[in-house]
Amino acid sequence: MRILLVEDTVGLGEAVRDQITEDGHAVDWVQSLRFAETSFRTTTYDLILLDLMLPDGHGLDFLKTIRSSGNSTPVIILTARDQVSDRIEGLNAGADDYLIKPFDLSELSARVAAVARRYRGNPNPLIQVGNLEVDLRDHRIQCNGQPVELTAREWALFEGFIQRPGMLLSRQQLEDRLYAFGAEIESNTIEVYVSRLRKKLGRDAIVTVRGMGYRLETHES
Amino acid sequence: MSRNSSLQKRLGIGLTLGATLLWLLGVAASGLVAQHEMNEVFDSALEETAQRILPLAVTDILNRESNTGNRTAPALKEHDEYLTYVVRDRQGNLLLQSHDADPGIFAALPREGFTNTSTHRIYGASAVSDTLYIEVAEPLAHRREAALEAGIALLVPLFFLIPVSLFGIWWVVRLSLRPVIEFQHSIEARGASDLSPVNKDRLPEEFEPTAVAVNRLLERLNRALDAERSFTANSAHELRTPLATALAKVQRLKTQLEDQHLKKNVVEVEQALRGLSTLTGKLLELAKAEGGGALSQQPHDLVPILAMISRDFETLAPGRIRLTVPDHEVNSLLDPDAFAILARNLIENALKHGSVQQPVDVIMTDDGRVRVCNGGDIVPPGQLAVLRNRFSRHDTKAAGSGLGLAIADAIASGAGMTLHLRSPATGRADGFEVEINVPHAGRNPGPCT
Repeated sequence: MRILLVEDTVGLGEAVRDQITEDGHAVDWVQSLRFAETSFRTTTYDLILLDLMLPDGHGLDFLKTIRSSGNSTPVIILTARDQVSDRIEGLNAGADDYLIKPFDLSELSARVAAVARRYRGNPNPLIQVGNLEVDLRDHRIQCNGQPVELTAREWALFEGFIQRPGMLLSRQQLEDRLYAFGAEIESNTIEVYVSRLRKKLGRDAIVTVRGMGYRLETHES
Repeated sequence: MSRNSSLQKRLGIGLTLGATLLWLLGVAASGLVAQHEMNEVFDSALEETAQRILPLAVTDILNRESNTGNRTAPALKEHDEYLTYVVRDRQGNLLLQSHDADPGIFAALPREGFTNTSTHRIYGASAVSDTLYIEVAEPLAHRREAALEAGIALLVPLFFLIPVSLFGIWWVVRLSLRPVIEFQHSIEARGASDLSPVNKDRLPEEFEPTAVAVNRLLERLNRALDAERSFTANSAHELRTPLATALAKVQRLKTQLEDQHLKKNVVEVEQALRGLSTLTGKLLELAKAEGGGALSQQPHDLVPILAMISRDFETLAPGRIRLTVPDHEVNSLLDPDAFAILARNLIENALKHGSVQQPVDVIMTDDGRVRVCNGGDIVPPGQLAVLRNRFSRHDTKAAGSGLGLAIADAIASGAGMTLHLRSPATGRADGFEVEINVPHAGRNPGPCT
């Protein structure tokens, strides 16, 4: 997933970014509302991790702005404000979850995954598509009953497909998922990663729609 | 019971007694004046009678064949005499007397003018070159009787006037004090958390400074409470953020270490940080609980808050919490944040110290009472009594700060409620139960199943 992390405490931001990246997601980390708004306007995110007390304003204002514009990107609030009234206010403003500092990074990972699953309309972390069995919680994939190991970037790309099986994903959508890893996206990066996934999942697992993008096959190959 | 008596009662009694006393003084003064005037009238009548009778008596005496000897003037008709008289010569020889006259009441020698004996008022006058004297006597008892009757005539209306004035004074005092009593009731009726200004529009001028002072005090109290809440909230933020950073950094470090010895040390640091986080959170909760603010200005529905707090524990102890809440709102003036802290601490306590094989019942009844029951060993009465003390822990191996029940107790006390601790739990042979006695009509609690 492509995740926007809005956190002004440097040490915490680094740790969260590293954890989420290790989980196989692409993270854009910003430290102010101004940069958050800029990033949000220019990129499509699958999820936002939002601190509330930011140097240039309140995170809830940002949340209300994106919700009032009709955007439904899942948002998890990360905050030191632990009162139930703050939590209710955050949830009423449109947050999907509320995590109080200090938190375990493993809990954060679990909540990110859970919110993403709920957002896709399937809270079940176990997905079966064709001959693939995927456990989103711990990134385990079985292809025809055999375990498949993916790197973090491969998982990031694959998660895009498994979230929308049978749907066409454009090159830009796929590039966005990898961009935040900090790598320069070269013209053939997507082809390289799709090729690697095909090697591990089967040649016909991902179909190329010429000039349009790629699609995960939903029937057994 | 208040030692201070009611102003209405004090004014009513004081004014009535005062008015009654004034009435009595007025009657006494009137009586004295009336008596004085009556005496003048009686004296005048006495004098007039003497003056009228004397010429007739002189004529009668002079026309006698013999000037000496007593004669009694006959009564034309049988009657009692108020005025009696005697006519005597200078030596005191009785020449004429009225038919009821008692010569014994007169002095031995006749005297002119007014004189008093112990029983009579006497007026004497002389004629024929002071050779004949007439003395008219009137019984003093007659005068006293007249004065008494006049006094009674003045007093009798008081028996009607005093109750009427009592009622009138009570009514006027009550009417005048009504705005003050309404002011008093409005202060009594407001909840402990209601710090809004009191209405002073209808108060009498004398009480306006009191209302102004009360409003200033309420405003200061409100500001102090806000400052305290703000401080607690800011402290929470300032303490939690570096703790979160440290914990996250340590957790990241743990994943990166290969050396098992170093990893073990980092895990210990992580555990210490978790402990510190928990303790910090509890101390902040205790500060909030003891700093007041357990009640809010508006009622809130407690059901969704209890449900939310119970759900929070689902990941920690899946399936162990059995939540029973009414299917309708349970509104209370308990502050939602305070209630959430209270419920969280009670549930956490039950999960931590109860038997892990048994569920924790979280029950809210229609009347708003909340009970949290867990299975497990019975807590002896001696330990039960000290559980709500800070840093007091039942003999247990479970980790804990020993502040959970102290926080819950402080919130309950702050909201005017009582935290009941029971072991064994209601309706069972073991376990532990905490009940918050929310001020609603009570019902008999069912057993914790």
